[in-house]
Amino acid sequence: MNKQTAKQNDYSPEHILFLQSIRRTKLLINILRYALFVVFVVLWEVFARLNIVDPFIFSSPLRIIQTLGSLYKGGDLLMHIGVTLTETVLGFVLGTLAGTGIAIILWWSNTVQKVLDPYLVILNALPKIALGPILIVWIGAGMNSIIVMALLISLIVTIMTVLSGFMEENAQKQMLMKTLGASKWQIFSLVVLPASGPTIVSALKISVGMSWVGVLVGEYLVSKAGLGYLIVYGGQVFKLDLVMTSIVIICFLAALMYFAVQWFEKALVNWRSHSKK
Amino acid sequence: MHPLVEIKNVGLVYHEPHAETQALNNLSMSVNEGEFVAIIGPSGSGKTTLLSLLSGFIKPSAGEILINGKSVEEIDSSQSQIGYMLQHDHLLDWRTIEGNVLLGLQVKHMLNKETHEYALELLNRYGLYEFRNHYPRQLSGGMRQKAALIRTLAFSPCLLLLDEPFSSLDYLTRLKLGDEVYKIIQSEGKTAILVTHDIAEAISMSSRVYVFTSRPASVRSEHIIELNTENGALSTRNLPGFKEYFDTLWKELDYEQTNSKTK
Repeated sequence: MNKQTAKQNDYSPEHILFLQSIRRTKLLINILRYALFVVFVVLWEVFARLNIVDPFIFSSPLRIIQTLGSLYKGGDLLMHIGVTLTETVLGFVLGTLAGTGIAIILWWSNTVQKVLDPYLVILNALPKIALGPILIVWIGAGMNSIIVMALLISLIVTIMTVLSGFMEENAQKQMLMKTLGASKWQIFSLVVLPASGPTIVSALKISVGMSWVGVLVGEYLVSKAGLGYLIVYGGQVFKLDLVMTSIVIICFLAALMYFAVQWFEKALVNWRSHSKK
Repeated sequence: MHPLVEIKNVGLVYHEPHAETQALNNLSMSVNEGEFVAIIGPSGSGKTTLLSLLSGFIKPSAGEILINGKSVEEIDSSQSQIGYMLQHDHLLDWRTIEGNVLLGLQVKHMLNKETHEYALELLNRYGLYEFRNHYPRQLSGGMRQKAALIRTLAFSPCLLLLDEPFSSLDYLTRLKLGDEVYKIIQSEGKTAILVTHDIAEAISMSSRVYVFTSRPASVRSEHIIELNTENGALSTRNLPGFKEYFDTLWKELDYEQTNSKTK
């Protein structure tokens, strides 16, 4: 740290100007970001008030806040959020664990990998929504079906991303482990797994979004509660305020989960560069 | 006393779907305890194949290989006392230098207080101790390769196999590190087999040079190098006699290389 401040004093006037211009650009981008949001919200509200857009169909920021308030007072808001969040987190965690587990098996056995390869390709191409009715019949019209749907949607992508990360781990490093007399398990746990950390995290980022898709599709099909249910219900009884409010909540929650994964990624990077061995 | 390494009439055939390649044919050589032997040969002549055979990754199609009088095929690879140094250091970038150096001991379940201390002592002896908590990316190419050597020495191997360990480095680092590695191996009293395509490197570091024929490889000739190596590998390059060895080996290698192309 000291070194850096010392350095800063030694910078030439040109370099200081350069640094200032970088800082200015950054600031400008931040201001524009927030401004865009504020302008959008204000215009939406104004257009709705002036009846330029029909607030009954397009809702408005104020109406959304009011709906949020009345939902909260009615006591249902947290329940709906809780249901959807539970389904999403469970689908995401189970999908990631199962996907990584299956990827490990496929990495372990070349034969299994080759045998299953065409099946993976077809399952990946299959729109998982098509399985919806089957899941309902098999598992029942409830939360379990929704969780399984979320799991299925993220599962294949997770398997493929994680496996490609494992396979990428260069043959030379595995050769090194062989020269040390390492077993397959040692090669995996000491080289392949730690080296694939970044790939696994990028798989997580993809499957967070996938789990949301799965949960909403599931809720559209069967649910009696949850944000997806609110959207379907609101659409059927023409309460577009309710639909818009649910979408805003989902935006917020999905972003939150994405940031949680990002935080996890940072923690992982820190751990990797600070852990002693 | 028998030699540490005996390679007797070894042959090896590689099988591929559309080809069968004879890589080694009736190859015999031996290495005594404490010797530094170099192998040179035309590129693609199967030098690395021989090292793979010695470390037991592949089995010979013919003949036998004995280390300490015991056939390599009988040696359990996790217990093998052979240190193999590759072209690149392959240090794991999420481990510190110390963590990397301990990797071999860990894999072989030999990591205890004593061996740990020995590894640290090696780091200290060869100038890497203060970098033990650094990560590989913070070190220069030469230092990284030296760390790779210490990783290999940490589990006290009885035989070192060096597979063109300097070829990924720039010329200056290559000369310096070659000299240093030579001194380290000498002072640790290790037996070493160096595979290289650099004639000068072979002469300056070894006491004996085997020249391989082009594929399928066998021993074309064996040269005993009698140069004073007291001042390290680098200074031998200035000794009288160095140039004669160089010319002889160069002619043989050139002949083999040209020969392999016309084949």
